[in-house]
Amino acid sequence: MVDFYFGAGALVMILTGLALARLLWGPGPADRMMAAQLLGTGGGAIALLIGTGSGVTAMVDVALLLALLAAFAAVALCAGEPGSKGIHRERIK
Amino acid sequence: MSMLPDLLLVMLVLGAALWTVAARDRRSSVIGFIALGLLLALVWMRLYAVDVALTEAAVGGGATGLLLLRACARLDSIDAGKPSAGRTLQLLIGFCCAAMGVGIAAAALGGPDLPPTLAPAVAANIDAVGLGNPVTVVLLAYRAIDTLLEKIVLIAALVGVWSLAPDDVWGGPPASLKLAKASEPLTFLAQILPPVGFVIGVYLIWNGADEPGGTFQGGTVLAAMWLLVMLAGLAEPPETRRALLQYLVVFGPAVFLISGFSGFWLAEGFLSYPTGFAKTMIVALEVALALSIAVIVAMMLAGPSARTPR
Repeated sequence: MVDFYFGAGALVMILTGLALARLLWGPGPADRMMAAQLLGTGGGAIALLIGTGSGVTAMVDVALLLALLAAFAAVALCAGEPGSKGIHRERIK
Repeated sequence: MSMLPDLLLVMLVLGAALWTVAARDRRSSVIGFIALGLLLALVWMRLYAVDVALTEAAVGGGATGLLLLRACARLDSIDAGKPSAGRTLQLLIGFCCAAMGVGIAAAALGGPDLPPTLAPAVAANIDAVGLGNPVTVVLLAYRAIDTLLEKIVLIAALVGVWSLAPDDVWGGPPASLKLAKASEPLTFLAQILPPVGFVIGVYLIWNGADEPGGTFQGGTVLAAMWLLVMLAGLAEPPETRRALLQYLVVFGPAVFLISGFSGFWLAEGFLSYPTGFAKTMIVALEVALALSIAVIVAMMLAGPSARTPR
């Protein structure tokens, strides 16, 4: 059973690697945002599978955190879009 | 069989790291760095350092990513079309970074097979403190002085960020974080996610006593949720001159200092806990510290004052 967890973990890791390629190459912002989501979900799945395989129950917390912050990272990617003008947008001079 | 995922993970980490260094534009580099942080969280997990994995995931995903991406967006509008650093400077930076990498690798690989460790001593005395998580025991009992200084450094860092504000807007609120392209899905997310994130943040703080987790991870999650609300434009960043905000910033470190000095009367000395009350005091300290960390991280990411105080 442990072998199954690690094997499944390896499979998800390959898929997450493909999502990583999409995140890095893009080309569009929408591709990157979807890839960031998939990276969060995939990372969570890897944490759960490998955590169960190696008997470290606290990995569930890592998966929880990755799932939560993947949604936040998508918003962060929006904030970094060249269209948004950054910190001093409303500076009164 | 467990080798296969590890090998794949190492390849992905190396790929993301190479991309971060080699990417042509700043934004791609930063995105590579965020992905690298996520992969490193998985690496720490495989090394059975779950506390570090949680910190890496929370800080990398919740704080650093947003900070760097906003810095990118701001720099793009400032130095569009300007040439980047000269060839000599680039080579010098590359050389220094490579030298540092080699140095760290040499120190990590070249040391004795079994590096000197105090871990058995901690494991033997963990019952005296009454907590289940050895990392929290070390951070808040045996090496509390380091943790105290670390929290005070956080205040200094926030003061550093705030002091970048020009005189005419001193004390005013930071620039609105609201996205230029604010949309209904974002508003929806900012209404749905923070309650869930708040519970997870509190859970991480509370759990830190006995399981992996703790003040920094939980505090950063809380900060990320507050930032999400500000990014969606549902709340504006508070004025930096507000007394409540400033009290919250120093609350955790102040409680830590008072409890440290109370050790002179109640226990054996500075930062020691009275017998039997160690766990109660540490959990109370963690709650106070997490509150301050959440406010400090969120305000640091919001940036210095940029609007005149009302």
